[in-house]
Amino acid sequence: MSLALIAALPFLGALLPGLMIRAGRNACAIAAGSATLLALTGLLLHAPAVFRGEVLHTRIAWLPQLGLDANFVLDGLGLLFAGLILGIGLLIILYARFYLAKSDPMGQFYTYLMLFQGAMTGIVLSDNILLLLIFWELTSLSSFLLIGYWKHLPEGRQGARMALTVTGMGGLAMIAGMLILGQIAGSYDLSVILTKGPEIQASEWYLTALVLILLGCFTKSAQFPFHFWLPHAMAAPTPVSAYLHSATMVKAGLFLMARLWPVLAGTEEWFALVASAGLITMVLGAVIGLYKNDLKALLAFSTVSHLGLITMLLGFGTEAAAVVAVFHIINHATFKAALFMAAGIVDHEAHTRDIRRLGGLRRLMPVTFAIVAVAALSMAGIPPLNGFLSKEMMLEEAFETVWFGLPWLLPALATLGATFSVAYSFRLVAHVFLGPVRDDYPHRPHDPGFGMWAAPAFLAGLVVLIGLLPMTLTGDLVRVVAGAVTGGTAYVNIYHWHGFVPALFMSLAAVGGGLVLLGLHGPLARAWDNAPRPEAKVIFDAIVEPAARLARGFTDALHDGAFTRYAAIFTVAVVAAGAWAFAGGGHVPGARETTPVTPVPAVGWLLLVTCAALLATMHRDRLVSLVLIGVVGLTVALTFAYFSAPDLALTQILVEVATVVLMLLALNFLPKRTPVESSGVRRLRDGAIAAAAGLGAAALAYALMLRDFAFPTISDYHLANAKDLGGGTNVVNVILVDFRGYDTYGEILVLAIGALVIFALTEALLRGPAARRLLARVPDQAKAGDRHPMMLVVATRLALPFVLMVGIYLFLRGHNEPGGGFIAGLLVAIGVLIQYMASGLAWAEARQRADWHAVIAVGALIAAAGGIGSFLADRPFLTSSFGYVTIPPFEKFELATAMVFDLGVFLVVVGVVLLILSSLSRIGIRAGETVNVAPMDIDPSAPRGKER
Amino acid sequence: MELAAEILIAALMVISGVFGLIGSFGLLKLPDLMTRLHAPTKATTLGVGGVLIASMIHFAIFADHISFHELLITLFLLLTAPITAHFIAKSHIHREVRADELPPPAGGAAWGCFERTGDGRRIEVPGERQG
Repeated sequence: MSLALIAALPFLGALLPGLMIRAGRNACAIAAGSATLLALTGLLLHAPAVFRGEVLHTRIAWLPQLGLDANFVLDGLGLLFAGLILGIGLLIILYARFYLAKSDPMGQFYTYLMLFQGAMTGIVLSDNILLLLIFWELTSLSSFLLIGYWKHLPEGRQGARMALTVTGMGGLAMIAGMLILGQIAGSYDLSVILTKGPEIQASEWYLTALVLILLGCFTKSAQFPFHFWLPHAMAAPTPVSAYLHSATMVKAGLFLMARLWPVLAGTEEWFALVASAGLITMVLGAVIGLYKNDLKALLAFSTVSHLGLITMLLGFGTEAAAVVAVFHIINHATFKAALFMAAGIVDHEAHTRDIRRLGGLRRLMPVTFAIVAVAALSMAGIPPLNGFLSKEMMLEEAFETVWFGLPWLLPALATLGATFSVAYSFRLVAHVFLGPVRDDYPHRPHDPGFGMWAAPAFLAGLVVLIGLLPMTLTGDLVRVVAGAVTGGTAYVNIYHWHGFVPALFMSLAAVGGGLVLLGLHGPLARAWDNAPRPEAKVIFDAIVEPAARLARGFTDALHDGAFTRYAAIFTVAVVAAGAWAFAGGGHVPGARETTPVTPVPAVGWLLLVTCAALLATMHRDRLVSLVLIGVVGLTVALTFAYFSAPDLALTQILVEVATVVLMLLALNFLPKRTPVESSGVRRLRDGAIAAAAGLGAAALAYALMLRDFAFPTISDYHLANAKDLGGGTNVVNVILVDFRGYDTYGEILVLAIGALVIFALTEALLRGPAARRLLARVPDQAKAGDRHPMMLVVATRLALPFVLMVGIYLFLRGHNEPGGGFIAGLLVAIGVLIQYMASGLAWAEARQRADWHAVIAVGALIAAAGGIGSFLADRPFLTSSFGYVTIPPFEKFELATAMVFDLGVFLVVVGVVLLILSSLSRIGIRAGETVNVAPMDIDPSAPRGKER
Repeated sequence: MELAAEILIAALMVISGVFGLIGSFGLLKLPDLMTRLHAPTKATTLGVGGVLIASMIHFAIFADHISFHELLITLFLLLTAPITAHFIAKSHIHREVRADELPPPAGGAAWGCFERTGDGRRIEVPGERQG
């Protein structure tokens, strides 16, 4: 399976839960799980090749000009992480199915989870650091959604915000660091960068890049001093915590440090920064963790501590330490995910996570107890479990490392960290599960169903198996991964008995010390609680809140919701910039001859000027200003026609008609006059701004028209190639559907979104307080009788077939002569629109076969299909091919694939205009206006007295 | 033949010009809206029609092909002009005239402009839900 597909599968899978939730919660979980399983299978199929030492690549050019390509790579490191992400993801999906309550929206949960999973898989498979950055930011965003999943809990929202702020800031720093790194290496491809180690370390920018990248890694992996967000993220549902904080999100920082290890590691700066941060985090996290009474908080700080441990090992910069780091990543993922899930089970069953209120669960929840006991003992480093193996190796590495010139300092601190680690692991077992059964649990606990404990039990099984047979199960994996990290071949030998070496005594000291700490826990906890210490959340809030206030004040001053203010700020800024540019550069009068003023343009010009002047003075009367705007629009259409742009003229006329009709409909519900709201001084000021902008624009246009273009325009290319490349002689249409087809596609989507927004707004309007105001509305004019007069009804019915025929004609000839999908769509829409006008909404909707939403959607899909079709022929999006066909008795005519695209445009335009129309009409009905199902109000053919 | 055609075309154009002028003058000069309505609808329609007929003859005789554009233009003019006039008159009556100012219509019927038709009938529009 292509690596790109493996990374894309979770994203595609994210579409499923939202749909499948309608089929039930099991279907939803199975849909998410299937996508994950498929991706995992695809990944494992590559595993043999990776174990043989191959490095797999998938390269897709995306934006090669920027150095941003969708390049994916799979080596040992990627395989390990992708395997963890997808494998534990699968377990989490199973676990979450049983964990989430009925009231939790499960579709949303799985969608977020799959998005996150995709982003993480993307990070570990990226071979391009810019692509990696995109996925990196995606993890920040999707983890924000996951952490804040319980939107009703303030802690959840605050925790999500804090996580996003911290990791997002780190991400920003990392973007800068990665760009510097790419600049030094001369490529954004990891494969290239990894070969440029000596150049990068010799560069004067090395330290800057290192610090910036490490900021990203440390914030993501919760390293001191950025460790505080992780415990606050525990407000998330437990499956999220288990996933994010055992195997994925927080490991992203570690992954990146490991990935860039050959390039960045091995220098003094690296050692000083990474090893120190890791060491401090390890000790600090372990100490704080011991005194946490919340189960998940304890696990959170233990995660912080273990992340510190791995960071420290990576920081040592030796190959042996890297091997240990890799091994511990595997071990930590297994026992920590199991522990988190087990904590969730306890919370789920006993309705509390407070260790002080628990105890004695051993008899009530034997299965959960077994799982926790295995995982916690592994975390404490008790032989023969897997945590013991990696901890022993870590202590050995620590013993051989000199920190700050003091050979005893680092081993001592590492042992201290291990001691506290043992203490909290034992506490977890002792204070929750051992002791007498209590009778005051908030809810009588018992073991959950198999579905819920299956996942943690599986992981606990792994803990034991890896502990017993480390070389058989993980030896090859660790060797391949460590080889990928160090960029060489790593020597891996994991075994239990190292002999009477210092690490053994350090380990023994840690276990002994841990037991002592646990025994003295009561008095120590009281002392800890009484000791003054900085509270991270308070400090964080003290920094963030003033900053947020400042930003809000600034934004409110500029964007206070009044359109006039935005317009004024924008206009003043543009005028000032223009004036500054004009004053700064030299001015040479234009060289072109001015053309003489002929009567026809003069009349058009006079019309425009008169309308503009009238608008400025009479704009308070909204009906009059609408008429004036219509006149301006038609004059512009005439101008297009005068300058031989029939396509533009046609479009302009049709758009003008549709706009005026729709605006008239909207005006029906608005006051007919704009009230005077601003003072005279203010109007004077606004007038001055407007005059400055108008004069500036006029001067600019005048200056431009007196000059030739500084660069050759693209028009000549279009004119020369429309027939050869696009197969059409109507250059405008060829530009729309072929040369700039991408733009057109974007534009019709914007149109469609606009129409849907209008629909959504009117729907909202029909419900909330505005609906009550609408109902209480007193129309400012009496209602007229005979709203649907016979003459109009008959005329529009007669016109409809002609309009449709002309529409089809314009559509078909569009590629070669004025016309095309857009114009035809507008025309047909207006043809239908007059039916609405003539006989009213209810009559028209009763005869409407298709939903306008569906018309828009089908149009967008057809346009997309028309564009994608050219991929089949291995051509870029929207390359049209064309041919000439003869069907007797017709003349020879042309068929182009661009017509499919144009058909999509046509449908979207029709749907958009009519959806807006029917949305606006609904307001009237909601406001209590009557609608009739008969075609006309007074039907002369009906018997007298029975008029409809 | 050509001379006759030229004379005919010229005559039609003059006629249309005269009608156009009269129409515009009437629009300016007539006292109130209902009478003023006659000027553009009748005179201007005929005026434009003259030009169109002239154009058709011109193309048939001098350009050797028959042009149908003018027929279409005529069709649309004839279709839209009365409807426009009808609506202007309707809104004028609606806004400016009270029902008792008008003479009763023949046959005991009511004036359409004042007849409250369709009231009291609420149609549930498909898709509209009461919130």
